[in-house]
Formats: sequence, structure tokens, C-alpha cells
Amino acid sequence: MNLEEQVLAIMREVFETDDVSTQSSQKNCERWDSLHHLTLASELEEAFDIELEPEEIGAMTDFARVIEMLKGKL
Amino acid sequence: MKTFVFRNQTVEPFLGYDGMTYSGYGDISQVPGDVDRYIWFYQVPVNADGEQLAQEIASYSDQLDLVLASADASKPFLIFSLVNLFPLRLTGNDAAVATAIDDFNRRITALSASRPGVKWVDFSEFTSRYDAQSLINWKYYLMSQTLLNPKLAHDFQTWWQRVEQELALMRKKCLILDLDNTLWGGILGEDGTNGIKIGGDYPGNAFTYWQRSLLQLAHNGVILAICSKNNESDVAEAWDNNPNMVLKREHFSALRINWLDKATNINAIAEELNIGLDSMVFIDDNPAERELVKQLLPQVEVPDFPEKPYQLMPFFKMLVDKYFRIYAVTDEDRAKAAQYHANALRNAELGRFADLEGYLYSLDMRLDIAPADEHNLPRIAQMTQKTNQFNLTTRRYSETDVQQRLDNGWHVYCMNVSDRFGDSGITATIFLEPVDDTTVNIDTLLLSCRILGKGIEDAFVKTMLNLLRLDGYRKVTADYLPTAKNAQTADFYDRMGFSLLSTSQDGSKHYELALDGVFEIKNCYNIRVL
Repeated sequence: MNLEEQVLAIMREVFETDDVSTQSSQKNCERWDSLHHLTLASELEEAFDIELEPEEIGAMTDFARVIEMLKGKL
Repeated sequence: MKTFVFRNQTVEPFLGYDGMTYSGYGDISQVPGDVDRYIWFYQVPVNADGEQLAQEIASYSDQLDLVLASADASKPFLIFSLVNLFPLRLTGNDAAVATAIDDFNRRITALSASRPGVKWVDFSEFTSRYDAQSLINWKYYLMSQTLLNPKLAHDFQTWWQRVEQELALMRKKCLILDLDNTLWGGILGEDGTNGIKIGGDYPGNAFTYWQRSLLQLAHNGVILAICSKNNESDVAEAWDNNPNMVLKREHFSALRINWLDKATNINAIAEELNIGLDSMVFIDDNPAERELVKQLLPQVEVPDFPEKPYQLMPFFKMLVDKYFRIYAVTDEDRAKAAQYHANALRNAELGRFADLEGYLYSLDMRLDIAPADEHNLPRIAQMTQKTNQFNLTTRRYSETDVQQRLDNGWHVYCMNVSDRFGDSGITATIFLEPVDDTTVNIDTLLLSCRILGKGIEDAFVKTMLNLLRLDGYRKVTADYLPTAKNAQTADFYDRMGFSLLSTSQDGSKHYELALDGVFEIKNCYNIRVL
């Protein structure tokens, strides 16, 4: 699984919906609210064994930014 | 199931979203009535001012009182105990916070004993598995008010599922034990009565602790049985002559000490004790035996056995946590193991009488039938949850469900059964739903398998039918709803003389009976209606 697919899988699990794509963002994805955002951050930290700073968590508002942020860490 | 959660921090990652509605943080102004249950899950806030924090915690009791006063008392209300995840003491003797937490926790255990529907959840059972570092994630706390580390969410959900199962009374009934290298160290047939390892120094002391712990399990209503490849005379000799043996013959309700395969033996134990395979846990040090039982009897729980004797204590804790714990152990539970044992004696007695009739007379059975009241209601609800075999409709009811039905004018009775061998306790119940002035429907009829085989079910139902006729009822309707386990009751109403009206596709049968005469009951029962 490449990085994109891995992140999509985590998003599906966290948001409890298959309705996620590389276009998903906090704006267009109903389940991506602030609480699920927290869970997403925590799951990403676990999955990739990284630590995210609060500022980074705040900035990853859509799929593209999540990938960009992860690439900077890995 | 719709649940409303009172909380003062973000707990959604732990309790989840499905069917859950959350109060505002520390908001008790809304107490919705259109939910199925309530949960109270408050966390101890972070505050360096101990006095102030203690006062805030003290106010939780008042808040809880207000909520309980307006919550629907017929709904379950689960209250988490408070755990201080971040104990901060600026001076050595400042125990105000700890005292306030203790007060709250004592309060909720008292509430769960006094108010129906209220159950307390020991949150420390979850938190005590982790060190202080892993419990808290300060980043997430400050970002979204959740002191408990969201990375523990998966663990929490696993734990919470088990707690909910326990709250629904889904524990196992029977523990089946192997002997050699399981109850003691070594092999009896080779090492001899005094050569096996039990008592004294390690590893014997590990098996002593293990046997003592199992004995406590038996005292708390778990049935112990033995399934071992051994010579029965060797085992009897060890029980009689090894002074260190804690568990002896009298602690086991069934024995299969022979050279048959263990699956056959476990089936026989299930039959003898009259309990389902899915109520059993099998303990054996031999992986091959465990595998055989797993393959042939998948309903039986077969945990791995520890490699080393010093791992027996954590193993015991795992057994208790996973299979045998329950939030409120009733006196019925405690007496149960003794009753199964008395049944074994009764079965031995059976052989000495010329016929069953003479045996039944000799038992001096007393059937005490009483309407549901505050004392027997928990037991009645518990029976609807746990009884599978002699249960005509298998409808599961909580205490509050039963209370609601009583409030709606239903007649609910239960029966206490005793004989000269002992008191089996409350072991039968019937729920009668008035349909109109002269018709009543049997919604629920069940008897614990402990008392089956003595015609008690016939006597119970006939007594109830006679009572109903005296109360002016002229017709009784009843259903048999088939399940995987209640086949033995499929023809019960036919036997009682009910007329079969129809049979549904799923095998459910619908009956009615005209109440136009007195039902004769055998003289061997002393029946009292209270």
C-alpha cells in the first residue's frame, strides 16, 4: 500500500464511512469534524510512529495537506 | 440503543458516536427522556488549586443528584467512578482532592445498591493498566479537552465492550479443570500422592495460590468440574492423603476422571450439570487437548494455559476479568454451586427408589409462589437474561423492563423451590399479560435447569392456571418461540392440554386454553402461594 492508500484507509476507519477520497477536506466531508480530526491525528501518529505538533494538526485541513505533512515527517 | 452521556470532558473518542448523544461539558440542564439509557462519565479536571478542585468534585455529587431526580428512573443509568489521572499535591498532607474523589466514589456505589437501574462502572479497572505517562496526552488535552489519551481509545473500547457484557449478565457458569500440571505440578501417576507439587516452596506454592483462588471462585457461584486423564483411585488417594490439597472432592460438581477423549467428557459434564457448552471454560496445560476441545466443541471457551507456574496469578485474574466477573453477585449466584452439588446427591439418591413417583414424594419438595416485589425483582430479571433451556419465549428483560410491565398491570410471579437436600432459591418465573377482562397471555415462562426433571414445571403452571381461573380469567393464550436451546419446551403447552392454533414459518407455535375446570396437581409438592 502506498502512502495515499494508507491514509485513505485510516480516514475510512476514523470517519466510519467509505465516502473518502483524495479530494476530501474538512469542508466537504461531513464526518471530518473537529472531534474526528483529533482521532485522525492520533491514528496517524500511531500508524506512522510520528509526533505531530498542535500547529501541524491544525494545518492538515484536507487530504492533500495531510499527505504533504506526512511526507515532511517520514 | 440510544444513550445520553453526561460528561465534563471530550469522551467521544472512547464511547464512540453510534447512538450516542453527549451533554455539553458539565451541562446538566438537559436531561432527555427519549433515550434508552444514561451514562455519567466525568473526569477529574486539571487544577493546581487543590481546595478549589476538591470543591468542584464535591459539586459533582449534587449535579448527579439533580440529574437522577429528573432522569427517567425506569432507564439504566451507568456511572463511571472518578480517577485522578494527574494527582498533584503541593504539600505533603493536602489530601482534599483524594478525599473528594473517595466521597464521590462511595456515593455512587451506595447509589447503585439503593436505586434500581443505577450501576457503577469501576473506571480505575481500565486506568490501572497504564502508567501515568501513557494515560495523559497533554497535547490533545489542551487542543480538545480530553485528558485521557486518545491513543487508548481502542483499548478502551475493548474494555468497555466487556463491561457492557458483564452489565448484561453474560458471564460463564462452569470452569472445567485438568489435574496434572494444571491443578498441581507434576504427574500424579508418576510422582505419587506426595510427589506432586502443591504447597511448600516454589513451584508448589504457586499451585496453592491457584487452588485457593479457584476456591474463591466456587464460593462466588462458579461451578467447578474436573476432566482429567488419570486413575480415579489415584486422585481420590491424593485428595484424602495429600495435606496440601486445597480443592477436594466436595468442591467439584462433576468429575470425569478416565481415559476417554476430553470432548466426550465435557459433553457428558454439560449433560450432567444441565448447562450449555457455551457456559463453560476449559483449562488444560496440554496444548493438544486444548486444540481438540477447540475443534470439536467451539462453543467452549479454551484459554491458553501459562507456561510457568508463577504466571498462574495473572492467569487467574484474566479468567475472572474475562469470564466470571459480574457487577452485582446475587445470593442466588453464591448458593448456586452448592445447589448443583446437591443435585448430584439427589441423582445418586434416585437409584434407591423403586420408581420416580416414590422418589418425588421422598424429596419433600416445597414450592413457594410469590408475586414480584422489590426483593425478588432483580432475580426475576436475571433469570430472563440467563435462562435458555426451559424458556418458552426467551424474552430478555432488565429490572426496569419488569417494573414497567408491573406498572402496566401485568401479573408477574416467581417460585422458590426447596427440598430436604437444600434450597434451590428462586428458580422459576411467569409473566402474565392481561389482554382483556377474561383473557390473559403468557408472555414469559421459564424454569432454571437446576430444578428440572421433577415435574415442578407442570405443578407451577397448573397452580397458576388454577389461580387465574379463580381471578375470573376464562382464557389463556401462549406462545412457544423456538431458539437454538429451548427445544425441550417445544411440546410443553401440548402436554398441558393447550390447543394449538397456528404454527408460524419460523416454527413458533401459538396456543390457547379455556379455563373451565380445576387442574389436578400431584400430591408430592407442598405448594404455597404468598
